[in-house]
Amino acid sequence: MNARMALCFTVLCLATGLTCPATAQTRGQLRLPEFAALADKATESVSVTLDSQLLGLACRFLDKSDPDEAAAQQICISLAGIYVRKYSFDNDYAYPKSDIDGVRKQLSAPGWSQIVGARSKKDQTDVNVYMLVDGGHAKGLAIIASEPREFVIVNIVGSIDLEKLHELEGKFGVPELQIEAGEKAPAAKTAPPNK
Amino acid sequence: MSDFENELRRALRPVDPPPGFAERVMRALPPQPAATVTPLDVVRSTPRVNAWRRLMTPAALAASLAVAVLLGQQVAFERAEREQQAGLAASRQLMQALRVTSQKLDDAYRAVQGSPAGAQEDEENRS
Repeated sequence: MNARMALCFTVLCLATGLTCPATAQTRGQLRLPEFAALADKATESVSVTLDSQLLGLACRFLDKSDPDEAAAQQICISLAGIYVRKYSFDNDYAYPKSDIDGVRKQLSAPGWSQIVGARSKKDQTDVNVYMLVDGGHAKGLAIIASEPREFVIVNIVGSIDLEKLHELEGKFGVPELQIEAGEKAPAAKTAPPNK
Repeated sequence: MSDFENELRRALRPVDPPPGFAERVMRALPPQPAATVTPLDVVRSTPRVNAWRRLMTPAALAASLAVAVLLGQQVAFERAEREQQAGLAASRQLMQALRVTSQKLDDAYRAVQGSPAGAQEDEENRS
């Protein structure tokens, strides 16, 4: 009976063109909490949710004459989604660390590797950069940065071309990362994979 | 043969009607309604009404078509405007997202590089 129900469910999934729950999320996309309650407490908040459809629309409306936007257009063409959550507060640790830990836990899934981990005890800052590598290609990028009064979660989904990321250097205030084409991020400075 | 022709001519010769014949015939006819006289301008205007009636259906169709085209244009214009607004908002969000990403990559870079500013901040990278 169970097998029959499973078969019916599969047929229903296929017939309706819906993806099954297990594959509903694009590979590389993290489940970010809503943080709805935090938006009221935060002094500054940025919440960006651009799925592939909105990203395509955004790409079309970028101004090619603007160097920053032209660079962004080159990058976003191959992406499937950008999700950013940034909250700043007046008080220290006004945000629940458990939510961030929940996101961090998703990055222990196979494929994700921590490429940068920087922590300052003095400033109590923590910046971690993760990359999802699939078939030798970067398919996702995640940044989790936390400070006493601010936390940022960035999730970029899609084929991330390091060469194009290299082109981003110097723009948006990013200094030269010294990434060689075809080389995986700054290898000498990378942290071991987060297992 | 000529006698026969003469007899035939004589039989078919025109004969005037007796006096009062026409009056008697007219009196025997049923009474006729008085003939109406239609003014010339009315006579001329009638075909115009008929022409208008004939043109009414195509005119209504043409008007409907024009209204449909105008409505379609309006809907398309509004849709394009909405799409443009959504696109501009999305592009602003994209730029904001890339700025935040870049800023944090910058932080990570400084921490990893141990820049002079970073060294003073006693950073510990090295997880």
